[in-house]
Amino acid sequence: MKIQVNARNRAYSFDSGEKEQVLFAGLRSAVDLPYECSTGTCGTCKAKLIDGKIYDPWPEAPGRKYLKPEQGEFLMCQCVARTDITIELGNFVYGLDPGACLPRSSFGVIRRTRPLTHDVTFLEIEPDRPQEFDAGQFFAVGVPGIPGYRGYSMVNFERQAKRLEFVIKKKPGGGFSEWLFNSGIEGTAVNLVGPLGHATFYPNLGKNLLCIAGGSGIAGMMSILSRAVQERYFDQHRGYLFFGVRTMKDTFFLEELSSFRKAFPGSLDITIALSDEDVPADAAGRHPLLGFDRGFVHEVAARHMKGKYQNLRAYLAGPPPAVDGAIRMLIVEAKLTTDNIKYDKFS
Amino acid sequence: MTRTFVCHAADVPANGMKQCETKGGLRLLVAHSGEQYYAYQAICPHQDVPLCEGLYDGSVLTCHQHLWQWDIKTGAALGLAEAPLEYFEVKLEDGAIYIVPPNALKMAELFAGINGQTLEGIIAIARREEYDEGTTLYRVGDPVEDLYVLESGRVNFVIGREDRTTPAGFMLRKGEVFGWAALLDNQPQRIAAATCLEKSSLLRVNGREVLKLLEADPASAFAVMRRLAALVTRYLAASGAK
Ligand SMILES: Cc1cc2nc3c(=O)[nH]c(=O)nc-3n(C[C@H](O)[C@H](O)[C@H](O)COP(=O)(O)OP(=O)(O)OC[C@H]3O[C@@H](n4cnc5c(N)ncnc54)[C@H](O)[C@@H]3O)c2cc1C
Ligand code: FES
Ligand code: FES
Repeated sequence: MKIQVNARNRAYSFDSGEKEQVLFAGLRSAVDLPYECSTGTCGTCKAKLIDGKIYDPWPEAPGRKYLKPEQGEFLMCQCVARTDITIELGNFVYGLDPGACLPRSSFGVIRRTRPLTHDVTFLEIEPDRPQEFDAGQFFAVGVPGIPGYRGYSMVNFERQAKRLEFVIKKKPGGGFSEWLFNSGIEGTAVNLVGPLGHATFYPNLGKNLLCIAGGSGIAGMMSILSRAVQERYFDQHRGYLFFGVRTMKDTFFLEELSSFRKAFPGSLDITIALSDEDVPADAAGRHPLLGFDRGFVHEVAARHMKGKYQNLRAYLAGPPPAVDGAIRMLIVEAKLTTDNIKYDKFS
Repeated sequence: MTRTFVCHAADVPANGMKQCETKGGLRLLVAHSGEQYYAYQAICPHQDVPLCEGLYDGSVLTCHQHLWQWDIKTGAALGLAEAPLEYFEVKLEDGAIYIVPPNALKMAELFAGINGQTLEGIIAIARREEYDEGTTLYRVGDPVEDLYVLESGRVNFVIGREDRTTPAGFMLRKGEVFGWAALLDNQPQRIAAATCLEKSSLLRVNGREVLKLLEADPASAFAVMRRLAALVTRYLAASGAK
């Protein structure tokens, strides 16, 4: 199918596959169409159908609340072209950077799962060929029998990765995350689209790093810190990580975080924020390289970061309330400019 | 000029904001900053998100959804924002806030921040014209004379000739300026065709006359040329050309 996109500044055209979402077809062709979640919740990928027919596999998508369907608006991350189509975007659209890893559709196989807490699982997927991605990116993962894709951020960072590592929090009643807690899912083939996402870190950034993660939002931060540690970024710059969970028994990756700190004790600070209980007396003794504090993660970050906002880039990820709280804090109190706030809302 | 009652000043928190609706059903965001009140469109120009849910620190307004930002005093786009806010002139009388719809030229990013007198001069030479849907404003190769400012409606651009044409973007916001070749020397011919996709209302200003007014006010001229350069770059980062 031929897809023509009339954007505010110019037109693009590209081909889409039989069952391929308009968004994924465009990104694969290096057209940087607007998106955030890529999975039907945020409404960022809104476009207007001018000509031709589309199929919408998920008319109940929450992101549709931002649309005016009577004007032909639809979500590019969900809809598939049935005929050649012409669509219109109210955004300025440019080509993807020549250096970026172009997203593609591919397959993977689930190789390993391992419980990290009572409701968080570690998941390893082997892609069909070694996969490039940037620190902080995610993949859309689809499993046969469960409609749609789910976005998951990579934990690891390596070139030509032979494994994609994820952490997944169980959502009660959730289609994918509950399925994942079944036994015997190793060997299952999954669909992958990616790498996706704009909350990426490159070592040429030249700024101090602030990472604020709520729960499984720690995934992308692990990737960013891995890259920063591998490239000795903290020789020149400071790093601050705040990892928010409810109670001590919801924490994970504390060993891995301690090893990051150990490599740069003078320039990397890591604080665990507990929202639902006071910091247990033995926490500091058991994890001497980590700090602990009580409160919501953005509040703890606000307390610890006072006076340290110069030359700073912030990365935020996790459930929408945690990310929104952190954004509010960074804009209103810290006066950070918006180009220095990169986020993924796990909605 | 007709003015419309919006709300009582006491209803707007100090250095805060509030969404209001006029009798005619126009929804507005009213913000207070220092000594002044400001009124803008109530909905984010990006998506259908109420701006009153955004963040406001008394000088900069941020939409929480994708962090577009605006200067509360002018509605000018800051940071990531791709469009300014539609702004309404506010009159405060006996504790009541009224709005007056502004001239589109006052909203034009191209002329933002220039000397008030120079802007009034440009407004004085502007002609308001209404066009039906389907009207061609100019074709490729037409002589370049006027600069256009959109008041309402929608204008589409195409480059190329006959059946070998490519869409080169469109204008849909009040205050958007096109046909800016009229401000350039050595650009005697249009390089894109412009057509009204809807019934549209436009302000037309002769480019040479604008340049004459600007020559008398070099500080404003410099501001306009800087903005023009930024505007051209925004479109030329892609192949579109106006
Ligand atoms: C950018 C991004 C990164 C994320 N990273 C992580 C991470 O690292 N770890 C983590 O635990 N979570 C992450 N999430 C959240 C994750 O994608 C899921 O929303 C979450 O795991 C719940 O999935 P579920 O299937 O259990 O719940 P469900 O309620 O079954 O589904 C949740 C999501 O799946 C999609 N969906 C559901 N039904 C359909 C349908 N019929 N058709 C199409 N799509 C459908 C929608 O996007 C919906 O919001 C991320 C989300 C985003 C947007
Ligand atoms: S990107 Fe399509 S709804 Fe979020
Ligand atoms: S909806 Fe306001 S910035 Fe996107």
